[in-house]
Amino acid sequence: MAALALAACGGGATSTTGAAGPTGGSTGGSTGATGGHAVANAGVTGIANPSDHKGGTLTFASSSTPDSLDGGNEYYAWTLNFNRLYQTPLLTYKSSPGGAGTTMVPGIATALGQVSPDGLTWTYHIKKGLKYEDGSAVTAGDVKYAVERTYDRGVLANGPSYFPNILADPTYKGPYKDPNGDLTSIVVPDPYTIQFHLLAPFPDFDYVVGAFGQTAPVPKAKDTGAKYELHPMSTGPYMFQSYQVNKQAVLVKNPNWTQNEDTEARQNVDKVILTLNVNADDIDNRLISGDLDVDSAGSGVQAAARAKVLGNPSLLKNSDNGFGNREWFIYLDSKVAPLTNVACRQAIEYAANKTDLQTAYGGPVAGGDIASTLLLPGMGGYSAFDLYNAKSQPGGDVANAKKALTTCGKANGFTTGLAYRSDRPKEVAGAQALQQALKAVGINVQLHGYPAGNYYGNFAGAPTFMHKNNIGIAFGGWAPDWPDGYGMLWALTSGNSIVPTGNANIGELNDPAVNKLFKDVASPKLTLDQRSAMYGQVDKLSMQQAVILPEVYAKVLIYRPPTVTNAYIDNAWGMYNYAVLGKSS
Amino acid sequence: MTDPTNPLVMTDSVSLAPGPLLQVSDLRVQFATDDGVVKAVDGVSFNLERGRTLGIVGESGSGKSVTSMAIMGLHSGKNTTITGQIRLDGEDLVSASRERVRQLRGAKMAMIFQDPLTSMHPYYSVGHQIMEAYRVHNKVTKQVARKRAVDMLGRVGIPNPAVRVDDYPHQFSGGMRQRAMIAMALSCDPGLLIADEPTTALDVTVQAQILDLIVDLQDEFGSAVIIITHDLGVVAEISDQILVMYGGRAVEEGPATGVFGQPGHPYAWGLLGSMPRLDTGRVDRLKPIPGTPPSLINVPSGCPFHPRCGYRGEVGGDRCVTEVPLLREIAPAHLAACHLTSDQQSSIWARLSEPVSDLSETRAGSLLASSDPANEVQS
Amino acid sequence: MITFIIRRLITAIFLLLVVSVITFAIFFLIPRLAGQNANELAAQYVGRNPTPAAIQQMVERLGLDQPLPVQYWHFLKGLVAGENYSAGPSVTYCPPPCFGYSFRSQLAVWPQMVSALPVTVSLALGAAILWLLGGVSIGVLSALRRGSIFDRFSMGVALAGVSLPIFFTGLISLELFSYKWPLFPNVEYVNIAVNPLLWARNLVLPWVTLAFLYAALYARLTRAGMLETMNEDYIRTARAKGLRERSVVVKHGLRAALTPILTIFGMDLGLLLGGAILTESTFSLPGLGQFTVLAIQNQDFPEIMGVVMLAAFFIVIANMLVDILYAAIDPRVRIS
Repeated sequence: MAALALAACGGGATSTTGAAGPTGGSTGGSTGATGGHAVANAGVTGIANPSDHKGGTLTFASSSTPDSLDGGNEYYAWTLNFNRLYQTPLLTYKSSPGGAGTTMVPGIATALGQVSPDGLTWTYHIKKGLKYEDGSAVTAGDVKYAVERTYDRGVLANGPSYFPNILADPTYKGPYKDPNGDLTSIVVPDPYTIQFHLLAPFPDFDYVVGAFGQTAPVPKAKDTGAKYELHPMSTGPYMFQSYQVNKQAVLVKNPNWTQNEDTEARQNVDKVILTLNVNADDIDNRLISGDLDVDSAGSGVQAAARAKVLGNPSLLKNSDNGFGNREWFIYLDSKVAPLTNVACRQAIEYAANKTDLQTAYGGPVAGGDIASTLLLPGMGGYSAFDLYNAKSQPGGDVANAKKALTTCGKANGFTTGLAYRSDRPKEVAGAQALQQALKAVGINVQLHGYPAGNYYGNFAGAPTFMHKNNIGIAFGGWAPDWPDGYGMLWALTSGNSIVPTGNANIGELNDPAVNKLFKDVASPKLTLDQRSAMYGQVDKLSMQQAVILPEVYAKVLIYRPPTVTNAYIDNAWGMYNYAVLGKSS
Repeated sequence: MTDPTNPLVMTDSVSLAPGPLLQVSDLRVQFATDDGVVKAVDGVSFNLERGRTLGIVGESGSGKSVTSMAIMGLHSGKNTTITGQIRLDGEDLVSASRERVRQLRGAKMAMIFQDPLTSMHPYYSVGHQIMEAYRVHNKVTKQVARKRAVDMLGRVGIPNPAVRVDDYPHQFSGGMRQRAMIAMALSCDPGLLIADEPTTALDVTVQAQILDLIVDLQDEFGSAVIIITHDLGVVAEISDQILVMYGGRAVEEGPATGVFGQPGHPYAWGLLGSMPRLDTGRVDRLKPIPGTPPSLINVPSGCPFHPRCGYRGEVGGDRCVTEVPLLREIAPAHLAACHLTSDQQSSIWARLSEPVSDLSETRAGSLLASSDPANEVQS
Repeated sequence: MITFIIRRLITAIFLLLVVSVITFAIFFLIPRLAGQNANELAAQYVGRNPTPAAIQQMVERLGLDQPLPVQYWHFLKGLVAGENYSAGPSVTYCPPPCFGYSFRSQLAVWPQMVSALPVTVSLALGAAILWLLGGVSIGVLSALRRGSIFDRFSMGVALAGVSLPIFFTGLISLELFSYKWPLFPNVEYVNIAVNPLLWARNLVLPWVTLAFLYAALYARLTRAGMLETMNEDYIRTARAKGLRERSVVVKHGLRAALTPILTIFGMDLGLLLGGAILTESTFSLPGLGQFTVLAIQNQDFPEIMGVVMLAAFFIVIANMLVDILYAAIDPRVRIS
């Protein structure tokens, strides 16, 4: 247990990656909605039920299906978290509560990446003697193959696109279409060394390698493409015994795993069961009755159980109310008139009733803390500025809103469209709250609800759609791909991130100062603190441009049965770290 | 009972208790409804000997079907009160248990109904239904029952009975269906056959055949027959006795010749008078009985027919309104319930029936006359 | 009879084709008519922040750039003759009926449906037996004791059963019998081959919930049918023959009253086999209903097409069987 020291505050000070993450929650306990009873937050301030006890079965349940169980094809936070039980990338998050949990440490690599002076080559060494579940050896060639296969987006559609964007050989089509081809930007000079060649310097490359499962090794002979997720070759503490799609996956101990293979994971239980498509309220009830250990989505209990938990002191003892590693906010599209004028956007920032929005998302406990920045508290570069009085006047600043309206020439208000996801009750409530608040200053919004499934693909995330339909406001949110300024801000505010479909820079910010900051921050000569400061500037500039109206720094209320050990809300995922959990009995 | 080894050979079909086969005494059937007590049958009595035919005539609501259902014990029991006596072969059915009456149903007394298409189950073959009727009362094998069914079908005149026994009711024509129903009813050789409007649903030529068949079978099996109808021609064709019902009561009963030849009750006059006749010239209009049938909840006081009777005035005072006339013998074995004296009745009837010849020597009515629907009583 | 069956089968095939065309049109044509192009259509299947190259790869993989009739022809061909697919390093043959591969997971659709089917069948058949026996017998008794306290009470309960939404009764039963008094904890589907007792035990709550709804319906239907039938003339004849009352009620009355009920039963069972969506979602049963919900949420066309066709197939077959059954029971229908 010494490895998982109770580090309340910490951070990797000298490494090229890592950030001082949020210190495990804002306060020691948050009061619930009733009676002033406090959520115990044992898993927020430290590790709940720390224990070395071995044995037992750990049961997970999900109310939906994973995007994939193949590490190379995942993007959801919970599946990436769960993936750590059976696959190990080159690097991985340190298993620690507090800020230390956001730093990269070696996985199957011996150390963090060695970067060349020009910042274009990153080298990693693989530990020797590592084995898959069947005893065969893990080599660097397997890591290269693992990355190569993700290039075929027809087969493996769901993962992130960093490698094709960053590596020097973007036209490679993947090993299935191009079996004799080769991804030339990855070089394997010997079985234990792997080199990545980049198009341009990218200081966060360790995160690209470690925050996802795309560098978890895949033996080419065992790769079955889309079917690989049915039984991925394990380098983690557990391996697949069975996986019935849409039903259940059962994992058992991997006999060929050693602690050396992955210092951050634990082999505490004998069996792990993940049941899929369980009714969400059923999940909560089973957690409370002790029949289930973890709700794998990690986004907290549903509204019904929330009321139960908050009103029951014995349940509060086993609850954690921590930050969920994401922010909910509202985009203001700077290319849709009259929001083309920054003052009109600022009017909306002032006029919104932040408290009502917070309530729409579940209040302080299940919604989160009222936000005024894009960077999350604890991230490098974060400072608690508040340009539009979100915290000082959470009910809205009507006076300043009206002033801003006059400045942009719309003293009597204007009309615009508002997009939101109609199957997300929080956004439905939020949209109505915003509509009301804006009406008070004369801004009329027409509500347009769209299904979540293709919200980003076809509606809010398609700029032409927004322009054509005069929709200037869109609800959204963002969980950073990795917990630093780049992960949080690039997709939201960089002029180069605007794409015709699946767009996350819905504000369509294309500010030269911001773009320059993003360009300059890639310089390999900068230190971590310098980069953090630059991200802080991006945050301020973007907020000045008012392309995003922050709502809350999301919080989750998670309940765990008392038999679960080693539980803490991990700042990397915004939920429990699944790789270290155990059972006390 | 029939001889199981040769079903066509009959021994005496009924037990040899002395006296009439069926004795109905002061039968009253009342239904309790939300609107009041319906006195469907209000004191009816008659006897029926073996091998004889009783025709019950009356309009709708006169109580004739209710009487026959009461004899068979087919009233549901809820809200129904039956008093009086129904002695079948010496055994009172009113006081007997429902189970006992059920045992007698089909075995000692059988009934056929007006519409043979709806009265037979559409899903089972005719043979199956006949076999069912037979096997309820006789412990025999299916083969024996089937043979009986085929024989009965042949006996009632259905051609090719060995093939048709497996046909379904909807595959028979109307007349054949009725024959099949008769076969079903007679399969257990009952001493009493009640036929409730057996020919009303059939067309003319078939009617005659069915009636002939009934008469034939009666001769052969020696059963007593009650035929219920509103068609005077049918009744006249085959009845030995007639019972005229009105408003739930018997208003006239007696031998057919007497009732048709010298009817004593104004209602009977009306019935007969409304028939077209061969022996008179063509008349422009038939003479229906004016008025409508009485309510059985609020039966008219005194004589139930008095609101429609044209001869009230001939009775002194308002006896017709205040005093219920009892059945009174106006000729040997011929009774009528009317306050008019026998002399008054004879003279009025003589007036009504001239200038026709004396009908008392012929069986009243004729086939051709009975085919005219105008015979039917206004209802 | 044989020509009847053959004719119905041909009609059934034609009907299934029409269903497939309509589903295809709804899925593909409507977005096209709304102005979406292939890229936008493919974008939703490619995960977050896709590069244009990734979208293009997806378009090619899903065949979305081909004209609609070609896509439909492809689908038909796969259905009937199977198709070769590459889901990675090797080419696999997807045997007929090939419904293609999920747009999201690239896993074959037909095997997923086949594995979901036993769950739905278990649920549907078990509930069907319960509701048929329960509903019909209560309906018969109520009809025979019309107006009695039993009749009024059972029809009152039946009204509740018909009116209460199934997710309500399901959730209440879970709350009471799974969480509060753990008679049936952890309602999860267990394969019957693995543990028949647990399979049955975990299905009791879903069976009863589903059966409650239908039993209520069938009790009312049976009661009405019996009341009508017991007034028929042939009942009077049956009694006149001297049959025991039980024979009259069952052989003559119930048999006739049941015929329309059986027709409805065939339809209900056919519909349920296509997926009891609400029940499966409430009790987390991984059957065809849940599969359907996920497919729709994911906009996963091959899966949607698969369940639609399968459900249509069940309904068509159920219809056909019911017609045949009807002709077998009611001789009047045979002569046509």
